[in-house]
Amino acid sequence: MTTILGVPSAVLYGQLLLGLINGAFYAMLSLGLAVIFGMMNIVNFAHGAQYMMGAMGAWFLLNYLGIGYWWALILAPLAVGAIGIVIEMLLLRRLYKLDHLYGMLLTFGLALMVQGMFSDWFGSSGQPYSIPQALMGGSHLGFMFLPNYRAWVIAASVVICLGTWYVVERTKLGAYLRAATENPMLVQAFGIRVPRMITLTYGAGVALAALAGVLAAPIYQVSPLMGADLLIVVFAVVVIGGMGSIMGSILTGFLVGIIEGLTKAFYPEASTTVVFVVMAVVLLIRPAGLFGSKPEAAQGQPQSSLSAPAPSARTQSLIFLTVAACLAAAPIIVYPGFMMKAMIFALFACAFNLVAGYGRLVSFGHAMFLGSAGYVCGHVAKIWGLPPELAILAGTATAAVLGFVSGWLAIRRSGIYFAMVTLAFAQMVYFVALQAPFTGGEDGLQAIPRGMLFGLIDLSRPANLYTFVLAIFLGGFFLIMRLVGSPFGRVLKAISDHDARAQSLGFDTSRYKLVAFTLSAALAGLAGSTKAIVSQIASLTDVHWSMSGEVLLMTFLGGVGTLYGPLVGAFIVVAMQNYLAAFGQWVTVIHGLIFVVCVLAFRRGIVGELIEFWHRRRRAPAATQAVLRKVAVATKE
Amino acid sequence: MPETLTVGNLEAWYGESKVLHGMDFSVRAGEVVTLLGRNGAGKTTTLKAIMGLLDKRSGSIALNGREIIGAAPYDIARKGIAFCPEERGIFASLSVRENLLLPPKVAAGGMRVAQILELFPNLKERLDSQGTKLSGGEQQMLALGRILHTGARILLLDEPTEGLAPVIIRQIGRTITELKTLGFTILLVEQNVGFAAGLADRHYIVELGRIVEEIPGAAFEGRLGSLKNYLGL
Repeated sequence: MTTILGVPSAVLYGQLLLGLINGAFYAMLSLGLAVIFGMMNIVNFAHGAQYMMGAMGAWFLLNYLGIGYWWALILAPLAVGAIGIVIEMLLLRRLYKLDHLYGMLLTFGLALMVQGMFSDWFGSSGQPYSIPQALMGGSHLGFMFLPNYRAWVIAASVVICLGTWYVVERTKLGAYLRAATENPMLVQAFGIRVPRMITLTYGAGVALAALAGVLAAPIYQVSPLMGADLLIVVFAVVVIGGMGSIMGSILTGFLVGIIEGLTKAFYPEASTTVVFVVMAVVLLIRPAGLFGSKPEAAQGQPQSSLSAPAPSARTQSLIFLTVAACLAAAPIIVYPGFMMKAMIFALFACAFNLVAGYGRLVSFGHAMFLGSAGYVCGHVAKIWGLPPELAILAGTATAAVLGFVSGWLAIRRSGIYFAMVTLAFAQMVYFVALQAPFTGGEDGLQAIPRGMLFGLIDLSRPANLYTFVLAIFLGGFFLIMRLVGSPFGRVLKAISDHDARAQSLGFDTSRYKLVAFTLSAALAGLAGSTKAIVSQIASLTDVHWSMSGEVLLMTFLGGVGTLYGPLVGAFIVVAMQNYLAAFGQWVTVIHGLIFVVCVLAFRRGIVGELIEFWHRRRRAPAATQAVLRKVAVATKE
Repeated sequence: MPETLTVGNLEAWYGESKVLHGMDFSVRAGEVVTLLGRNGAGKTTTLKAIMGLLDKRSGSIALNGREIIGAAPYDIARKGIAFCPEERGIFASLSVRENLLLPPKVAAGGMRVAQILELFPNLKERLDSQGTKLSGGEQQMLALGRILHTGARILLLDEPTEGLAPVIIRQIGRTITELKTLGFTILLVEQNVGFAAGLADRHYIVELGRIVEEIPGAAFEGRLGSLKNYLGL
């Protein structure tokens, strides 16, 4: 048997082929993302779900209607594309004038809804889909065996990619698309129906994802979550390539696939993380991406911010003390386990809010800090047998270091790219946690001892534990409150309003962002460590992307950029988890729905809307009040 | 049928701030009419309002007696009005040829591409370059050229001389005169009074979002003194 650099050649060629196949899917999906983003400035987070719908559609057609692969190749993309058109007309259309992040949040919500519903209907395990008759078998190429279906997938994907490239870059329709990407108003003024073109572009991009899904059905297992993890890799591909160019997306997709294949042959342990390492290197060397022309514009449109002034220091202390008293008294009527869980998540959400709300760096990867801190804390307490305060300190420090390193790389980009980069890094941490020996893999770390705090206080006693969690939450919250009100917090807000302007005033904006991000990571780590001590478990759930989604949900539901919003959001979300647990997958659907409703109807969140309402009422001119009073009197008489 | 554009009591807003406070003017078929005024007087806004590019506007814009203020932006071009924006609006991701052919035909009788290239010989050799690689003057010619093949008979030109060398400005002037003889109706927004003086049949002076004076082309030279007030010369 021949070997190449110590690897049997058959293995190498096999892995290369697999890499090429994966690359084909990366290319097709990142292509669709690039087309959609170019036209509508929306990072289509539902792309993975739509890819899954294509595959599920093919499976459904075969098993329920007896319609085979070849028809599915046409019908499934058409159906999913049509759904995409409806989504654009009903939902996405309302977001074009807002910050790009809202599009990402809304489509993230849609993805959760779709994936939740399919998981409920079909179970989350995979379904097999057999290779069509005509493409069974394979051929020996002399140096390796090439299955016909895999050859077909590669050929078909190349044709699809080049076809899309040709349409966009070389046809009249493509000229309209490119022109509308640059200046939609002017293109409208020439008599072209740009809104309809946008709708159709989204439909086409979505159909492309579904087509990839059908192609994937016989290769990968057809399952409701098949698109979710794939999409995160595709985001990394997009960051590596830059979304500016169609050909760039295609080449990067295949390139990343091949790199992954080679890694699998030579160093299989790193095969799941290599994409993210490549992304980190590209961010260091060429932040705009290999084919990107320039980094994104510094700022999008302003968020719907609060017009209310901050309350005075005295009011603020008063509110803080009231909240503290309520939390201290709560166990009398509320189950303490619930309260502790909610407080831990509230601290996590407040930490997230520090960068997302005040620094406007919306991270989609905050779970990495929560989860990794939990693992380290659990390991230190259980294996090393150190007391809880040191374990928590170790966990927090780990999260801070992780935050410093990932933040140092991620703040080179902003807005949606920042979101994608953090998501990708978190996925890398997830894979490390999945494989590293000390995390316990799928089982996680169990039976973490609570121990004696400072060698004096026995944390296994419920009252002590509750007081401990309360103290940590209040301490973390107080720190954040003071930070936000400090000069540091004000500079952070100024940077989030206008980075370049803050820079021109002499602030080293990158340093401020990095400090804020590291602090936020450390506080998230504090929450994660406390969680490990309280629940006595550190598991993969806490590093999974869905946890990053949950903290986003808490913060946006409660009110991003408000002090108490994340607290309120965390309590609601944790309550939902506790009381709606019987609904199974529908909790995910509800989460998704909340995202959609929040983005469409109340972007300030619960607390934000309340503050705004209160403020508006107080501002209402006295004249109106007088008229109202007169009317009231008149109706009484 | 000769085209006329009649604007009555046109008001328009950018967000909360009102920019046009009741514009009244008209352009008759075959005329070249200018809107003159200082920066911020509302000239460009008037053109954008006619093209339907503003969120909020009210009043009347009538094309050959038919009201078009309610029409969607993409419909206005199809009624035969073409727009050449300020700063030219050349698309960077399109070649010169693609830029030239981008606006779709809205009526029969547009100029042929060969005719347009005759009018602007500079463009002929640059057809395959990237649109924004052209010089400023060439970009202006491209921006003018691309609206001539659509068949639209009314042209709205927003400061076609801005930032260009005198020799190019003279060339653009000759082109506009030629377009007039070809029967185009032209509404021209300008700050370059010297350029506008020699071209237009009538001038409207715009100030604070209103027409404050109408001056026939022949009387322009004589009124230059009083114009200085308005135009800040």
